[in-house]
Amino acid sequence: MGIQPVAVSVDSPEESQRLCQKAGLTFPVLSDAKAQTTHRYDLVLPAERWEGKEISGPGEFLIDNSGTVRWRKLTEARGSQILEAAQRLQ
Amino acid sequence: MKPKWNWRLWAGFAVSVLALAIYVFEFETTRQIVWLSAALSVVAIVLLIAGLRRAYGQSGVYRGKVAGPVLTVLSVLFIDGFAFFSYKVPKGYDSATNKPRVGDRAPEFALSDSHGAPVALRQLLSNSGNGHTSKGVLLVFYRGYW
Repeated sequence: MGIQPVAVSVDSPEESQRLCQKAGLTFPVLSDAKAQTTHRYDLVLPAERWEGKEISGPGEFLIDNSGTVRWRKLTEARGSQILEAAQRLQ
Repeated sequence: MKPKWNWRLWAGFAVSVLALAIYVFEFETTRQIVWLSAALSVVAIVLLIAGLRRAYGQSGVYRGKVAGPVLTVLSVLFIDGFAFFSYKVPKGYDSATNKPRVGDRAPEFALSDSHGAPVALRQLLSNSGNGHTSKGVLLVFYRGYW
């Protein structure tokens, strides 16, 4: 398919590493510990915190090589939806 | 003559449950699902009204003087539940104007991966690792603390 998946959460790199090992993930799992990127994407859940940290709501963005958003979903997307969106990319 | 079962009341209740269930289990806010659930809600209300009219207007013929109000109240709660989830919850989260939309430039970032190495969006987009060029990046934000 030629799409690079990348996951982001406020988990620390160590917590992300544990997730990668447990789930066998081979794509990058990035740590946004201060939620700055989550804020930039405006996905911080307004009334929820975990251990004092702001956390992200769900969101998937398909970004083409020019850096343009070509598809987005603000709830948890099904795999079939992601595949359909990826197939529409040139 | 024994009063008949007032199926309209039960059908209206079942349809209202279906309206909320479709919306919740699809877990989406696509227009088609919202319209389907809204249409089912209207069908539920029509059935319930027809059932209540028979229960009270033809009480010798149809049952439902007790079940009717109970099922109607429950159905209204289910329909309210659908309305709450479809209008109020997405409006709080989805209508915020700063989320990147289709056609916008994705905000740049530089974050650490699980090994502590820095990863930037522009690097991911220009990456042609493994000998083939990627068509793009699927950026997935999740809650964390797993």
